[in-house]
Amino acid sequence: MEDKVVLKKMGRRKKLRERIRENPKWQKASTVILPLIFGIILVGLWQGQVLHRLFHTDTFTLPLLDKIGSIMADNKEKLLENTFSTLQVSLMGLVIGSILGYLMALLASFFPKFGQGGLAVIGAFASIPVVAMAPVFNNWTKDISRDASFRSMISKTIVVMLICAADMGLNAYKGLTNLKPYALDLMAIYASSRKKIFFKLRLPNSIPYVFSALKVSVPASIMTAIVSEYFAEYITGVGRQIRENIVLAQYSTAWAYIATACLIGIFAYAILMILQSIFLKRYH
Amino acid sequence: MKKRMKRILCMLLTASLAVGAFVGCGESQKETTSTAENEKKEELTSKDIIEKAAKDGKVGNWGLGNEYEVLALLAKYDLPTDFLSQDFTMDGFDDDSITLASAMTYNELGLVKNDYEGGYGYKDTVEYIDMNDEGVAMLEDNIFCSKDFAKENPETVAAFLYASFKGWEYAVENPKEAAQICYEYGSSVSKEHQEYMADEVAKLVSTDTKGEKVSDIGNMDEDAMKQTLDIAKKYVSLDDADANEKFQNLTLDDIRDTSFYEKAQASDGKFNVEKKKVSIQLKWLPDAQFMGYYVALDKGYYKEVGFEDVNIVSGGGDIAETTAVNNNTVDFGVTWETNLASADASGMNLVEIAQIFQRSGLVLVYKPENY
Repeated sequence: MEDKVVLKKMGRRKKLRERIRENPKWQKASTVILPLIFGIILVGLWQGQVLHRLFHTDTFTLPLLDKIGSIMADNKEKLLENTFSTLQVSLMGLVIGSILGYLMALLASFFPKFGQGGLAVIGAFASIPVVAMAPVFNNWTKDISRDASFRSMISKTIVVMLICAADMGLNAYKGLTNLKPYALDLMAIYASSRKKIFFKLRLPNSIPYVFSALKVSVPASIMTAIVSEYFAEYITGVGRQIRENIVLAQYSTAWAYIATACLIGIFAYAILMILQSIFLKRYH
Repeated sequence: MKKRMKRILCMLLTASLAVGAFVGCGESQKETTSTAENEKKEELTSKDIIEKAAKDGKVGNWGLGNEYEVLALLAKYDLPTDFLSQDFTMDGFDDDSITLASAMTYNELGLVKNDYEGGYGYKDTVEYIDMNDEGVAMLEDNIFCSKDFAKENPETVAAFLYASFKGWEYAVENPKEAAQICYEYGSSVSKEHQEYMADEVAKLVSTDTKGEKVSDIGNMDEDAMKQTLDIAKKYVSLDDADANEKFQNLTLDDIRDTSFYEKAQASDGKFNVEKKKVSIQLKWLPDAQFMGYYVALDKGYYKEVGFEDVNIVSGGGDIAETTAVNNNTVDFGVTWETNLASADASGMNLVEIAQIFQRSGLVLVYKPENY
């Protein structure tokens, strides 16, 4: 009797379930396996039409996965073409916008008095809905080129750029000014110049914030590009195809493009995560 | 103090740079095409105009299923079938980024010509190419419902048609009063434009594609319907292979049913309606394009045939009227034959029961000085 009590207290004979749960290898694997199982169940429910019964819908509005897949396979070229045009806009907007946003944050951190107010205005800019901005810029850029496909691309890129710039500006400003307590005092004790403080302290401190901005603006850039396509003069892109097909009641095809949009988003996010793990290594 | 001034100057400089960058986008590139302007041409045929506009890539249409007549027209003259996406204003036409713009006779054409609120005031300086004259007319506004609904409620369908036809008949004869009624029911446009619309819509309802008078409202003309379906088959390409095959094999019998029309025509106005509360989904915002239904509602024609309540549901830019009818949100709908055919091809079960517009209302409008 006594022996048993001692054993229990020392925790040597844990239940199998607990042992598995505490195994670090399992913990690591479970972050992959559990969502995977969930995904497989979801696919099964979808394909088996259980979802349709659950949500009182039909295979018309929510087409089966094999149907969506076969449409995607049949129209690879058209899908790629539209994906390319959407990606082009969202990437260009993302890169230019993020750089602009960071520069704005730099300016704001050099002139904090004006900076904070200025960034608040930019933040307000970001809350203008894309559906309002897109037609405005579509009209605004009509004169920049005789080529409709080019000027459409520019107008879409500007909208994406503004959204990304605001996001990056606000976050990077936080990163440049929200320093660790006493860090600034320490630099002052070392009699560092403003330049040194900037390069040794502010800049490195802003990098994690840059990535948290990107985590929002990468998916946002794709979404914004897709919505801007609705209003563009030149008919191209994943978003425009979704709209065209829904109006013609081609839901399966629309879903094929929705799936494409999802895939673009997932891939972009995955690439961002890889980049983050490379750049943020020294911060952990 | 000096430092402060420097800072302020710096801020102003960056601000003006930023503003400058934006303004730069709006600056126009004035490349005058003087060579084309200097050559004074005698009489321009519509072929010349379409060819020039297509070569410049300045043909406009809204897309979204409205483009097939334009595609057919471009193909008729062996031109590339590219077009610019027009928004729901005529600004693109106004600023010459689109020189051959799509317009409905009863809506955009009026806005271009007239100078009332929202109009561009071009008066008769603009000219247009009519799809009916070019032989590429496709039929537009009809009345449709789902096949199941028609089967279960034959009296309701016939009664609805009877009363709606009566409303349309009255509206065609009294467009001014019909416009007033539409305006009172919550119009999306100004009163003057509403009156213009009513006049033009009356023409579409009472004239066929060949320009001849039509006396029977709602008649489904075989030739015009066939032409519409044939053009649609040629220019609609659905990415869904199954749907596309089904679309190509559609016949008129799959998408229209004349029995309800005949029943309504032969009726003395007495019906035994199965469903007393019905609704109709419009294809667009409420205005005189749908004046017949508003007149029928206002004059009590729906009540006369036995309906307690008829709800007219407004449409808009991306409302898919076919979907709304197919999932039983509404009982009847107004759509175009092409939309109905493509919806049926992808698995819906819809049927046209009457054709309200007897000719195409689409024209391509242009400023002669651009050609």
